[in-house]
Amino acid sequence: MSNVLIMIPAYNEEENIERVVDHLIQNFPQYDYVVINDGSKDKTGEICRRRGYNFLDLPVNLGLAGAFQAGIRYAYAKGYECAIQLDGDGQHRPDFVGDMKKKMDEGYDIVIGSRFINEKKPMTMRMLGSNLLQFAIRITTGADIKDPTSGMRMFSRKMIREFAQGLNYGPEPDTVSYLVKQGAKVAEVPVIMDERISGTSYLTPVRAAKYMTQMLVSILLIQNFRKRDRS
Amino acid sequence: MSLLLRSVLILASVGTTLLIMRKIRKEKMMIEDSLFWIGFSFMLILFSVFPQIVFKMSELVGTQAPANFIFLFIIFVLIVRMFQMSTKISQLEAKMKDLVARIAIDENIRNEKNDPVEEMKEETNS
Repeated sequence: MSNVLIMIPAYNEEENIERVVDHLIQNFPQYDYVVINDGSKDKTGEICRRRGYNFLDLPVNLGLAGAFQAGIRYAYAKGYECAIQLDGDGQHRPDFVGDMKKKMDEGYDIVIGSRFINEKKPMTMRMLGSNLLQFAIRITTGADIKDPTSGMRMFSRKMIREFAQGLNYGPEPDTVSYLVKQGAKVAEVPVIMDERISGTSYLTPVRAAKYMTQMLVSILLIQNFRKRDRS
Repeated sequence: MSLLLRSVLILASVGTTLLIMRKIRKEKMMIEDSLFWIGFSFMLILFSVFPQIVFKMSELVGTQAPANFIFLFIIFVLIVRMFQMSTKISQLEAKMKDLVARIAIDENIRNEKNDPVEEMKEETNS
């Protein structure tokens, strides 16, 4: 058993999941993986069963936060030293997991796979949102996180325990901001992400606006009032 | 709008916000669900601190007194919220039914597959 677990939340990813997981199995056998089928309505679950993948089959749809927590709980129960989230659509390359693990071994709690360490952000609406979040995190915590919305995050054993047991621990920038404020050590490692090959993005303009409002209010206001009694 | 109404609105809003923060601190409420209340409190405080907004809106809508506009606003927002909650509860119930059925079916299938488990259960029960 490896001490690194790759969690792959998948919701209606029948077109991608096989390619993503097969790539992982063939080229990166040194890592353990678990697919979290988040109550998909398409054939994602069927494919996982047929191919004999290691997967958690959630009977109902919980959303990304719920699927992520299910994966984290699995990592916690199985005693993994660190867990990393990779998207089910193949945007995140497992090639960078090694780099991130190396960084984590230097004593960090969270390692973020960042697209913008060496590269400038392109001028799109999406990046405007990213900049806003980066700014919000900087003024509330003092930490400069260049790619706050990156879904490619690696968590240490200590963090796994917290995420597994806590209530407001979604895999989102506001949780990262909160944890930084509470003294967690966060580092970023440069990665390259691919465009989606198949399927549509979840982020519609309305959802994006709602997401941004929620994140900003959460980071700027709510997280300041949270306490942490676990150590 | 009387000073009394304004102060009551401010007090209620501040009270609501404090209560919500307490719930979050104690891990009794999810952040997504708290946002509505924070937004709601914010609007009420805005109305109390800048009654000009209410006067203007009242004139636009045609309510007889500005205070009536506040009532209308609150009722309207709460009805929308109630509708959203109705939908959410329906979804939750559907999910719960799914889950319960799934557990029962899984158990049935498992019992069919390997009887030893069934026997063990009976042993521990007796």
